[in-house]
This record gives sequence, C-alpha cells and structure tokens, in this order.
Amino acid sequence: MVNPALALSVFALLVALLALVFWPRRGVYARFARVALLTERVRLEDALKHVYTWEQAGRVTTLESLAGRLEISRVKAAMLLQRLAELSLIRTTDEGPELSDDGREEALRLVRTHRLWERYLADRTGVPATDWHEEAEREEHRLSAEQAETLSARLGHPRWDPHGDPIPTLGGHMPEVEQLSLAGVLAGRTVEIVHLEDEPREIFDALLTQGLHLGGRLEVLSRDNRRVRVASGGREWSVDLVDARNVTVRVLAEGESAEGPSETLADLAPGEVGRVLEISPVCRGPQRRRLLDLGVVKGTEITMEMASAAGDPVAYLIRGALIALRRGQAEWVLIERVETPAEVAG
Amino acid sequence: MPTLSASPCGSCAQHRTQSLVKLGLSPDKWDYLVALAGNPNVGKSTVFNALTGLRQHTGNWPGKTVVRAEGAFEHKGKRVKVVDLPGTYSLQAGSVDEEVARDFVLFGRPDVTIVVVDATRLERNLNLVLQIREITDRVVVFLNLIDEARRHGIAIDAKKLEKELGVPVVKGIARESVGIDELLDAVHEVATGAHSGQQIRIAEHVPRVEQAITGLVPVIEQVFPEVPNPRWVALRLLNADEAVQEAVRTGELGQLSRDDTGDLVDLAPEWGREQVLDAAMRLRWDLPPDFHDVVTQRAFESAEEVASRVQMGGLKKAGFAFDRKLDSWLTSRIFGFPLMLLILAAVFWITIEGANVPSAMLAKVLVEDGRPWLHGLAAAVSMPWWLDGFLIDGVYLATAWVIAVMLPPMAIFFPLFTLLEDFGYLPRVAFNLDSMFRKAGAHGKQALTMCMGFGCNAAGVVATRIIDSPRERLIAIITNNFSLCNGRWPTQILIATIFIGALAPSGLGGLVSASAVVSIALLGIAMMFFSSWILSRTVLRGEATSFSLELPPYRPPRVLQTLYTSVIDRTLIVLWRAVIFAIPAGAVIWLISNISVGGLTLAHHSVAWLDPLGLLLGMNGVILLAYVVAIPANEIVIPTILMLTVLTGSGAGGEGAGVMFEFGSVGVTGELLRGGGWTLLTAVCLMLFSLLHNPCSTTIYTIYKETRSVKWTTVATLMPVVMGVTVCFLVAQVWRLLAA
Repeated sequence: MVNPALALSVFALLVALLALVFWPRRGVYARFARVALLTERVRLEDALKHVYTWEQAGRVTTLESLAGRLEISRVKAAMLLQRLAELSLIRTTDEGPELSDDGREEALRLVRTHRLWERYLADRTGVPATDWHEEAEREEHRLSAEQAETLSARLGHPRWDPHGDPIPTLGGHMPEVEQLSLAGVLAGRTVEIVHLEDEPREIFDALLTQGLHLGGRLEVLSRDNRRVRVASGGREWSVDLVDARNVTVRVLAEGESAEGPSETLADLAPGEVGRVLEISPVCRGPQRRRLLDLGVVKGTEITMEMASAAGDPVAYLIRGALIALRRGQAEWVLIERVETPAEVAG
Repeated sequence: MPTLSASPCGSCAQHRTQSLVKLGLSPDKWDYLVALAGNPNVGKSTVFNALTGLRQHTGNWPGKTVVRAEGAFEHKGKRVKVVDLPGTYSLQAGSVDEEVARDFVLFGRPDVTIVVVDATRLERNLNLVLQIREITDRVVVFLNLIDEARRHGIAIDAKKLEKELGVPVVKGIARESVGIDELLDAVHEVATGAHSGQQIRIAEHVPRVEQAITGLVPVIEQVFPEVPNPRWVALRLLNADEAVQEAVRTGELGQLSRDDTGDLVDLAPEWGREQVLDAAMRLRWDLPPDFHDVVTQRAFESAEEVASRVQMGGLKKAGFAFDRKLDSWLTSRIFGFPLMLLILAAVFWITIEGANVPSAMLAKVLVEDGRPWLHGLAAAVSMPWWLDGFLIDGVYLATAWVIAVMLPPMAIFFPLFTLLEDFGYLPRVAFNLDSMFRKAGAHGKQALTMCMGFGCNAAGVVATRIIDSPRERLIAIITNNFSLCNGRWPTQILIATIFIGALAPSGLGGLVSASAVVSIALLGIAMMFFSSWILSRTVLRGEATSFSLELPPYRPPRVLQTLYTSVIDRTLIVLWRAVIFAIPAGAVIWLISNISVGGLTLAHHSVAWLDPLGLLLGMNGVILLAYVVAIPANEIVIPTILMLTVLTGSGAGGEGAGVMFEFGSVGVTGELLRGGGWTLLTAVCLMLFSLLHNPCSTTIYTIYKETRSVKWTTVATLMPVVMGVTVCFLVAQVWRLLAA
C-alpha cells in the first residue's frame, strides 16, 4: 500500500500546481490567455482607439501617450503608428497622427462594438458592473461587424451604453453629448448623473462603492480644490476631485426634486402601503423586466404583508398577488408612503 | 394510443355532455387549434385536463408548465387540438416562457386562444388578457376560481367584461369542471366565426410614444393592409421585438391573418417591408429612454380601469385573512423553521417506514419467487444456459431490483410531497429558506428541488423548472445530485449498520448507524451549499439572474386526484426511465462476470486493475467496478458489490457468476464483506463515495434534456466525482496516517 504521508504530499503538490496554473486572473493559464489575445491586430485596434479617444478629447496622440496607454515601449508604439499609417487609417501630420476617414470609421466601429457589448452584459447577463468594461475590451476585437449587427438587433438597437455613453450608429453617427463633470458644478446646484467613466477601473470601482450610479441625483453642497461635498438620500459625503472628473452630470432645473425619492419598499413595515414612484436605474435587464411584469410600475400601491422566517425575503401584496422580493430588489423600488385607510371589517 | 383519461373524480363526469369525447394525446389532424394562455397559478393546467382528460401535473405552484403540453378532444364532431402555453405575467417576451407563449399566440395561428383568468385577481390577470386581445380577436376568457372569488366577496359582471373586451367571457370552476361546457360552446362559436371579436377601446400612451406609434401605423397599414393589429405591431417594432421584426422582414406578418377562404394573402413587396423596418428604426430615436417602463405601466393602468368597471362594488381585492393567519405561523420567526423541519421530517419518516413492507414484498415476489419461476420457464423451453443467464440473471434481475427498491418509497414520497405542494405550503418553505440560498447565490425554490432529490435526483432535476431565473436554475440542476436519493439510502443504511452500528454497544447500534446516515445526508446538504456558492461565483458568475417567488393562496388539497396524478406523473415516469437504464446495466454485469479472457473473467481483470486506485481512495476495486457498471442505477450497487466480492474472492455463498443478490441477514453480509478485506475505513469511504459520485445515467440524461447543454451536463456529471475522489482520498490517507 502507498505510504499515506507520501500520498498526501503528492496530493498537496498537485493541488498547488493546479492552483498555480488555473488561479483566476493571476494563474499561468490566465496570463497566457491574456498574452495570446494580444495579437498584432488587437494592438493595432487599441492604438487606433487611443488616437480616436484623444482626438475626441481635443488632444493629439504622442508616442508617450500611446506607449503609456498600451503599456508598451515607445519603439513599439512608433511601429504601431507607422503600421496604422501604412494601412492608411491615420495620416501623419506635423502636429502628430490624425485619423483618416477610414480610420475614424474603423474606430467608431470598435467603439460601437464595445458599447453594444457593455449594453448586452448589463441587460442580458448577471455580469457585475465592475467587469463590463474589461469584458467589452476583449470582446470588441472578437466580434465581426455582422455579429455586432446581430447583437444590436437582439438588444433592440440600443442607443446608450450602460455608462451613459451614446452608441454610434452603423453609419458612424453619434449624438454630441454635453460634457459637464461633477468637478465643475457650482455649489448649491442639484445634478443628475448622466455618465460614469469606466476607465481607469480603480476610479470607476471607487465611484460605484460610493453609491454613485447612472440617473442618481446629487446635491452639490460645497467644493474646494481637492474635493466636492455632495448629499443624496439623506447622506453626505465627499468625492475626490480626481474621481469627480469622471462623473458627467446634468444640472437640474430649479424646482426639480433635489433629493429624489428616498424611501424604498424595503422601508415598509408589515401592513404599511407604498405607492411606486420609480424603479431605480441601477436595476436593469432581466431584473427590471421581471419587476415590471410583476406589476411594479409607477403608481402601483404595494402593501408589505409579512417577512419570512429569516427576515428576508419579504412578501408584498402587488396587484392582488402575494409576491416575495428580496431586500436588494425591494431597495430598487422607490416609493412614497400611502396612509393606510382604517381597517375595514370583513 | 395510451389513454390516461380515467377520471378519479366521479362527480366530474356529470358535468360533461355526451358530445365531448376526450382523445387524450394529440391526434394527427384537427379541425381547430386552441391555445390555452394565462398567468401562472390560475388553474390553466386544470382547465387543460378538464378539456382533454390528460393528466397533466397540476399543483398549487406558479410556473408548472414550462414545456408546451398538447392534448385533444372532440366536440360537436370537430376535432380540437389544445396547446397549453406556459403561464406568463405578460407577453413582452422578456423570458423564455413569455417568448414561447407570445410566439404561439402570434405565429402558431390558433383558431381560438382561451385565456384563463383568476377571478380573485382580476386586475392583474386582465393585463395579460388585454395584451393578447391586442394581438388577436379570437379570444375566449375563462373566469376561473369564481368560488374562491365569491368566498372573498368579489363579484364580477361577466356580461360587462364581455362588452369591455369584445370577446366571450365564461365563468367557471375548473377543478370541479363547472363552466367547461359553456367554455366549449364559446370556443366553438369563436372558432366557427359565429362570434367575431369586436373593436375595443385602445389605451392611449404618453404623447412621445403615441407620436411614434401614429408615425409608424400608416406605414404598416400601407405595406400590410390586412394586418388586424397595426398598433400592436408598431409598438412591438418600436420595442425592437426580434420575432416581429423577422416576421416583417420575411413578410410572414401579412400572412398571419388568414382570410375566411384560407388562402394565403399575397406577399408584401420587399421594398415595403424594408420601409417599415427603417421607419421603426428612425422613430425609435425619439422615444423616451424609459420607454419599456412607460408601456408596461400603461398596460397595467388600462387593466385596472377595465377591472374597476366590471368588478361590482368597486375594485375590491381578496382579503385572505385566513391565509395570513396561517402564514403568521408558518413563516414566523419563532415557529417557521421548527414547523418546517417537523413537516419535512414527518414526510421522510412516513416514506421510510411505509416503504419497508411493500419493498420486501416486491423483492420476494420479483426476486426470490420470480427468478426461479422464470428459470423454470426457461428450462421448460430448453433455453441455452447463456441466454437464460443473460436474460434472467442479468436483465430481469437488475430491473426487478430497481423496481423493488425504488417503487414503494417513490409511490409514498411523491404523493405526500404533491399534497404539500397542492396545499400551497411548499412556496412558503422556499420563502423561509431563501435567505440561506441567497447567500450561496441560489434560489429559495432550490430547497424544494433539493427535497425532491431525496426522493429521486432525476425528479429533482425536472422540478427545477419552477425556478424561473436562468442562473439559479442551473445551480439547482447541477447540485441536485448532492441530495442523497432513494436509490442510495439502502446502501448507506446497510453499510452503516454493519460497520458503524457494530462499534456501539448493542442497545445503541441502531441509533448510531442512523445518525451516521443522517450525517452523510447533512454533509450532502453542506456540499450542495458549498458547490452552489462556488458555481455562482465562478463559472456561473455572468449568467442572467432575476428573482421572484409568488406565494399562492392556500387551497384545500384534492387527495384522490393528487394520489393519482403524482403516481402517474412522477413515480411511473421516473421508474420507467430507471428501468430502461437498468436493463443494459444488468446485461453488462452478467456479461463481465461470465466472459473469460485467459482463464479469468472480465470482472476479475477489471477488479485487479481498479484495485490500486480503489485502495488509494480507501475502498477497493470491487466497489469501483460496481460503481462503474452501476452508473445507470444506484439501487444495484450493493447487490453488484456482493456478487463481485463472492466472484473475485474466496468467500462462500452467493448465487453464481453475474447473479446479483442480497443476503436476508445483515450479519451474513457483514461476514462476507469482512472476508473480502473490508474495514471501517472501507465502509466510511464507500458511504462518502455513495454520496459524492456522478449522478446515475437517468439523472444525467434528464440534466441534458433540461439544460440542452453538453457543457453543463458534463459539469454536473464530473464535479461530484472529482469531489468524491478528493474527499475519499483525503479521508483514507489521513486515517491511515493517524492509525499508523
């Protein structure tokens, strides 16, 4: 019989080896897969996108900016630009590289695919918001133009990506969006978030953890040269100015509700009734459709009936049916309280 | 044609006219095609059964019919085919169910669509009625459960509702077959065109939506002049509904509305079709961003308006005071869990106690008496020994074994379970347990499919249909195998009695072995949670998820009907599948024990070959071989092990090569196994491996049928094996290390 100590050691070694190879993100396999994906085409496409993004921002691409963005050497960056020029996707001018018409079309196609894929992830899958961008970065290089069109049709030709960016049309048309960042809003104004920049990931994650989301409303209390102080839903906190630059907002007209509705279904006690004002924009895709189909629409009166033995989920009487919702779902439904009429006998 | 139409409820017959002849399963030809639609849990399946006599499984549980059920009957000399559509809240085509239902109503071109409506929840149900009404005029509304509505003080003016909807409305109580005749007459009228749907008021949308619709309708009308519902088509196109877009693109849309002659309308010109799609695409840019919300809201509002007009004495909602009273106990913080454990424990106790006697009887009749009798018969027709052995000792014996072990517990367990389901208690169990399952990334209803799994994993996998969120359903399917099924309980009990119970003082032996088996079952539940948690965070991370759980009103269970349907639906179907898979297993077992190569049987070779691996895992080659050949059915693992131990060892007894057997006495079995080199470690590892190994082939096949995915079937098959091998290996090695 095999010596048990030996067998166990061999087993431990095997497990360690497998972990080394297959560990998510850090494992050998994951690294290898990442490198394998970085083909010449992908690098070229990324470079083209960089030129496009900087052009949109009114800046001119330099070797440094490209090298920094793609995490490559300047020599490699120069080679990429030269290759793009050979493909006549860019023109080299005295100022620096500039997109040709073909180049702009190609760049828009990439942007379109990227944003469509983000839309798909947001609407049709359960992939968490923090992963959308990275997945789309990979997928934009894989989908062919036809596949992107099929996807667009399946999604109902969406117009906006889940971050609030417009998706360019097939013809390359893209509506101009006003760009006012949270960092530039005067104190005392109320704003609605229309876009959350998903790059760099660290900042995007930080914004999400602060509870900022598309469609969310904030009141700007004060601002200095390091941070912006905001309030929402009865909560006050500060946003770093660097982070705030990645939040695009729309200033609300005076009189528009500063706070927005702050009570949700989850705040109701047994027997209490709430009237639905809206479903939070954070709730999207299948989750949102499910709530709508259950009859959770604006104006529906919902009674909290009872909590389960563990306290969550809670059963609500929605349009005549007793439906259990989890706390997370109930928190998406913004309500105003309705005075319960005195109990009618019978 | 198998007819299952014998009704358990004698009183039902009196409600049926002579003209209604139930045809059971679908005939090849029919005069009318009728679709049956409705919200979940409104008694659609009951209406279906009342119409066709087919015993479709009905339960007090939303989301029963996921796969389309079909049936047929004859009425007034016309053959009518009925298609039962999945229950849906709307036709927005958000989920698979809704897509199936919508596509059938639209593209299946039913002559009549019956919409079953729960009279106690008229307003909610009317939402769907109105949506269907927008698609087609050929609708009959069946107001079901009017007795319940009456109990709750709700009265509905059916005549007025008829006027509001412009289609016939029939009141009834499907489970007592009240109103079925009237329903048939109404269907007949609509099908023959005697009653044609009238125009109804159409709900106006918010201005921006209305603008887009009015912009698109003329284009549609111009290209498809015969389309009866241009507004609806416009709305669907604006919503970028793929199926409708496709229908426009191919021109099928124009042909959906057959005229009376039955001839196809000319195909609309291609340029026109493209024009419609372009216009829709253009107009979509002007829609408000929350377009879908607005449209849904409008639909509910108009349902509310109609409901308030037809419900007498204003829009009153059913009170359900009794239900709440009961719920306050069954879902209470203090009593909820203890009551649940008590009820489930009672179900299992009744199953185990009740199954003993019939199982023993079946074993006696089929195995002890049946086999010699068959051998005698074979001898009488002078069958060659190999055919006799192959057929009787191999094929017949395996089948007999599966039936004897499986049938009695299933015939008790499933009806009990169904009664709880029928009553409406099971959704409350899911409600109470959901928070535990949520933390593991799963759905509360998985608690129920898990319980079903204790009866039979294949049945548990089928039961996952009640989980409507794709990711959670997959998790439930993949982890169902961790419920120790009926086929594995006997193995656990036998081995625990022989090896673990024997360690305890004689008085406590039974208790100790029982707790050992319960620990294994609990370990299975822990593994289920653990693997659900892992799955939801790794491979299933990106799958779509959407939770909802409807708690239906409590309804008095119908005992006789439940017994009948659950025996037919669950027990016999599962048993039949198991038998089919057991037959080849029996054949293989007999063959490997009787075909010799180089002087030794194939079984000898395999056991010798598997022995090193078996020892590494704390077991032996016999056990592994038994698990390999017994993939089809866990019930025959122990008989196979005994047979192989005798065959390959020097132990006396047994019945001969390839003949599975069990000893009458536990003591003799223990001696035989100890003689075969078994120790306490072997027993523990066997019990662990019996819990953690691949699902039986019936279950694997069922998983494939349910998921339609080779990938997930593979994951569900291999994951438990990998876990079992790892666990057994670790236990064995650590055990030996400590023992040394």
